[in-house]
Amino acid sequence: MRVYLLQRLITAFLTLFGMSVVIFVLLRLVPGNIVDILFSSAGFVNPAAKQEIERELGLDQPIPVQYGRWLRDIARGELGKSYRYDIPAWQVIKPRIPVTVELAVLALLIAVLLGVPIGVLSAIRQDTVTDYLLRTLSLAGLSMPSFWLGMVIILFLVSYFGWIPSMIYVSPFEDFKAHFLQFLFPSLAVGYRSSALIMRITRSSMLDVLREDYIRTAWAKGQREWIVVFGHALRNATLPVVTVIGIEFAFMIGGLVVTETVFNLPGVARYLVDAILWRDYPVVQNLVMFIAIVVVIANLTVDLLYGWLDPRIRYQVR
Amino acid sequence: MNSRRLRLLVCAFLALLPVPAANSAEAPKAGGILNATLIEAPPSFSIHDETTISAVWPMMPCYSNLMLFDPLKKQESLDTIIPELAEKWSWQDGGKSLAFSLRKDVKWHDGQPFTSKDVKYTFDTIREVEGVTAKLRVNPRKLWYENVEAIDATEPQSVIFRLKRPQPSLLLMLASGYSPIYPAHVPLSELRTKCVGTGPFKLKEYRQGELIELVKNSDYFVKGRPYLDGIRYTIIKERGTRYSALQTGRQDIPFIWEVAKTAAETTKQAVPQLVMIEASTNVNDHIIVNFRRPLFKDPKIWQAINLAVDRKGYVQAGRQGAAVIGGVMLPKPYGVWGLPEAEQMKLPGFGDPAKQKAESKKLLAEAGFGLSKPLKITVSTRAIAPYTDIASYIIDQLKQVGIEAGLDLVETGVWHPKMTRGEFDVALNLTGIGPDDPDANFYENFKCGSARNYPGYCSEEVDSLIEKQSQTADQKKRLQLVQELDKRLQLDGARLMLGWSKEYVVMWPYVKNVVPHQSIYNYGRMQEVWLDK
Repeated sequence: MRVYLLQRLITAFLTLFGMSVVIFVLLRLVPGNIVDILFSSAGFVNPAAKQEIERELGLDQPIPVQYGRWLRDIARGELGKSYRYDIPAWQVIKPRIPVTVELAVLALLIAVLLGVPIGVLSAIRQDTVTDYLLRTLSLAGLSMPSFWLGMVIILFLVSYFGWIPSMIYVSPFEDFKAHFLQFLFPSLAVGYRSSALIMRITRSSMLDVLREDYIRTAWAKGQREWIVVFGHALRNATLPVVTVIGIEFAFMIGGLVVTETVFNLPGVARYLVDAILWRDYPVVQNLVMFIAIVVVIANLTVDLLYGWLDPRIRYQVR
Repeated sequence: MNSRRLRLLVCAFLALLPVPAANSAEAPKAGGILNATLIEAPPSFSIHDETTISAVWPMMPCYSNLMLFDPLKKQESLDTIIPELAEKWSWQDGGKSLAFSLRKDVKWHDGQPFTSKDVKYTFDTIREVEGVTAKLRVNPRKLWYENVEAIDATEPQSVIFRLKRPQPSLLLMLASGYSPIYPAHVPLSELRTKCVGTGPFKLKEYRQGELIELVKNSDYFVKGRPYLDGIRYTIIKERGTRYSALQTGRQDIPFIWEVAKTAAETTKQAVPQLVMIEASTNVNDHIIVNFRRPLFKDPKIWQAINLAVDRKGYVQAGRQGAAVIGGVMLPKPYGVWGLPEAEQMKLPGFGDPAKQKAESKKLLAEAGFGLSKPLKITVSTRAIAPYTDIASYIIDQLKQVGIEAGLDLVETGVWHPKMTRGEFDVALNLTGIGPDDPDANFYENFKCGSARNYPGYCSEEVDSLIEKQSQTADQKKRLQLVQELDKRLQLDGARLMLGWSKEYVVMWPYVKNVVPHQSIYNYGRMQEVWLDK
């Protein structure tokens, strides 16, 4: 197990290193840098002033030198300075991480709480009216992008209640109710779509397991339905579901741009797009690295969970 | 008389009494927080470094100018300028010196006293005077003060601007929201992330990309102002969410440069008690022809392009009705200097669309282009609405006269560098003018070699006319000269003018004294704004 973990950590490190190169190079392939943007909004270009700012920000250096400096900063625990806000990049990134993580966790919680029971119910009531209804519900969820659902929720709230959640982030320690309501609706919008996916995976996985010999044996022994379903079938059916949950969580950390924008939540994804448009390299590089780390950790966690869920799986190094 | 009859009589009597005026005649109430809206985070807090309304609007309440356009008067002109840090001013030496007496009771937000040194520091920094070490990062308005030869600040409460030649417009530029006085004792780099001003509000909190919160400056030098306890500028990027927030009362006022007429009308329809104000933005839409390209050495080509575009169609299709046809200067009733409508409509491009299109085809044929050999050009524009909306309309208009135009969408980050380098055939552009002032417009956009003269237009005769109008103190004579220039620039195709966009401010009726001016850059001080709640 320890060797397996070490091997995975080395792979994760190499993946992150590769990611860092890709992020760094891709960003610089996009035309224009922050100085171009600054002058663009000013409507003119002063070549001398442009050069001076580029020198000040270190953008006049060759790309490998800039890359080396970034890696050196990371090794020192520094994330550089946001070109746009003129303050350490970490100060810009830090308050956004909890917002996105909270939204992702809540959405995932909703997705699991809805998706798994519905998937199980749909499987054990296969080809009944209940199954058709639940499958329609899940198809609808998969067909509706979460940002669209978010907009519909906002319009619904405006039209029927003349109310929408706060447009400014409210800390839970400041006003828990306002905080809860601020996160409830975007979590529902995102969670519903994910629940549909989880429901479909749970259903198909459960159907496979329910056809296994040992389940038939359990039925034959006269065991109660809930023991057969939850005690024997569900645990074995959860492996693909766990994989999907891991992937969904990783996606949510960086992929909720429009949902965060629609609900005006100051999260990572929304800010990442802003930073890309401004070519705020230090912020973009570090935020994408953060997302990459989350993806790697999510994958690792899923792999480790496999062993716990299915003792037949052994962590062996080939 | 029984009590019921008595009550009816009293009610009838009260109904006959005059009702106080609903708006400005009401006694202002102090207190409350104004929930204002921004559509993006300001690039920085330093107004002198920036050119976007996203920086000026939330930072204007923090600073003071020497003088300001009266926030309560809709149309800005020399007559609507009121004192701020300068108590009074006078022209001397035949209009070559402008002397200011400054207020004595002013303190910076950090408690330091305000003196004439701060005024000299601010404008010497913008002018990039030799020996001044402070340096602005971008400095977009250096040109405004090119005529200033020296600034004398020998006394703490008086300052004199010495000019190379008379320039009445200097007052208009000094009254703009783009001309705040900076503290000499605070490094410029710090002012990019915080605000130390003398204005009615102080910076309380900034959450990057989310919120700017200002709080009342209790030491503000105008007694009894501001009325508000604070202003909360919430950054809401999604347009639908912004309007939802306004409809539900989360926000009291929208961002002042929304332009979307249809959205404003829909919002007003949904919540009838909201107030909708139509105003000008002092932003013009125009086509730029690159005179550096050999193709456009033949005037028939750009004249054909000019005649091909139906201006009334531009207002309806390109701007969804939210614009007014006009020339180089903002037209009346919004602006002071623009050509009268009758004059404007006589100019090429503004006449009968069918006749003009026929004339356009004729010119193209004379230039050697026709059905067998169509003129092929590329129309470049910034890849954001409303640029793309108008550019698409222009391309359609050009097709109608047989010009095959392709659309080149340029990302914001490279738009101005590309324009400055002249890497385009024809471009659809928008230009915002700080104050409604001929100098601010002509020097920046039309003088030979000026930084924003993207078409590469150059005429010595026009340059000398620009200088002449700038020095003319008599406003009537100056207006004549400006209108003559306006016509000349349009006839020369310096910019193929389409029109001027309008804004639609939808706000709650309890917000008082937010009076949109003809330029969006000059009325954000907020010291007169109050909430009737």
